[in-house]
Amino acid sequence: MKLSEQFTKETSGAAIPFIAFCIALNLTVGQVTSALKIPIYLDSIGTVLTAVLVGPLAAATAGALSNLLASAMGSPTMAFFVPVSLVIGLFSGILARRGWFKQWYLVVLGGALQGVLAAVCSAPISAYLFSGVMMAGTDFLVLYFRSVGNTIMESVFYQGLASDPVDKIITYLIVFLLMRNLPRRLTGRFAGAANIPSRSA
Amino acid sequence: MVPDLRPKLAFVLFLSVCAFAFDWQILLPLIALVLLFPLALPSYHPASDRARHLFFRFILFSIAISGAIIVLNGWILQTGERVEILPGIPLFSDGLLFGVRTAARLLLLSFSVLLFFSSTPIPTCINALQQSGLPRTVVLMLLLTLHFLDSLPERINRIFMAQEARGAPVRAGFISRTKAFFSILSPLLLSSIAESVDRGVALELRGFLLEMAPSAKPALPAQPLSPLTILLLAASFFILVISIARWLLP
Repeated sequence: MKLSEQFTKETSGAAIPFIAFCIALNLTVGQVTSALKIPIYLDSIGTVLTAVLVGPLAAATAGALSNLLASAMGSPTMAFFVPVSLVIGLFSGILARRGWFKQWYLVVLGGALQGVLAAVCSAPISAYLFSGVMMAGTDFLVLYFRSVGNTIMESVFYQGLASDPVDKIITYLIVFLLMRNLPRRLTGRFAGAANIPSRSA
Repeated sequence: MVPDLRPKLAFVLFLSVCAFAFDWQILLPLIALVLLFPLALPSYHPASDRARHLFFRFILFSIAISGAIIVLNGWILQTGERVEILPGIPLFSDGLLFGVRTAARLLLLSFSVLLFFSSTPIPTCINALQQSGLPRTVVLMLLLTLHFLDSLPERINRIFMAQEARGAPVRAGFISRTKAFFSILSPLLLSSIAESVDRGVALELRGFLLEMAPSAKPALPAQPLSPLTILLLAASFFILVISIARWLLP
């Protein structure tokens, strides 16, 4: 099946408004975490939700559009990380298709792998485009790794390894728990309904 | 009439290429130029009061962060000569130079992207993308996202207050607050999926997802590139080629 046909198949029925909601969720979930004072980002939770319920191509689209809209809304550097969001969407969608969201231990393993992959993909962008400085709290970690003698690329990669797997494991677990508790009459409308864990999982 | 955004995009591309090709001595005047654009050129004026506020707030924020980047690099990367700029804080020349280079590049990249988005309303941007051949499903996705972005914060706030009124531990210890996260996210997700299903059914009933007949597709004539766009693209290409050549042949 061609990619365009696959994309058309994924984005039918309730999927389009749901993907739009997931993009908005990526951009606003920080509001919930900051209101509850929880020190996590979860800025790809909408992308992973789309991956599980809709499909990999839709998830990649959701991730890319999230980054572009984030750029338009006051975080201009996010536009340069579109490739990372594409990889996150595709990877989590492929894992969901292979049934990795049905068992909690596979979810943890998938989240860890996703975190490493995100670190690998974002390191060159962060190192070569921004010299490892992203105007965020993680810059201190990069500076620390540089001060102990690592190159910029190594420092950015180590910083990614230190923060991304934890964030992605938590994201995956939240999606797993949410999916497990959603009524089947709602999730049954989506192409990825078969990827959802049963309550006994 | 949808405005032609290609000159603006070409300008952003030109500035991005310059950010990587030139050193900080050239980048600083370019940053000043970008900051003057919203004041001097009508097409770069912020599209709304909110955009103006966001643009100038981001400028102040990023200038402050850039100062911090320069000082932190000068302080932590202890190579080169010792420089006495701040009393009591030992700074080193190599770290300071690295900080200045990085901050200048980051500022130019950020300001150029922000200049485009602050002067172009998102619906205008979406219309232009649709005219350039973006699939209508993606256009609808973007427009619905704008709808959700407007309504989500209010919905989150409503659920937060409702859960707090029911006694959910939204202000208790860390573990309790983490549990409360689910009590907020679950109803949010449930209501949003229900809304998505309703909207999806409404779209299907209106025939949105049916294939358009070839004759029904809007026939939009391809506009030629303006001389300014061609000039900016050519300059970007030229600078890029020279930079790659200098990098390969030191």
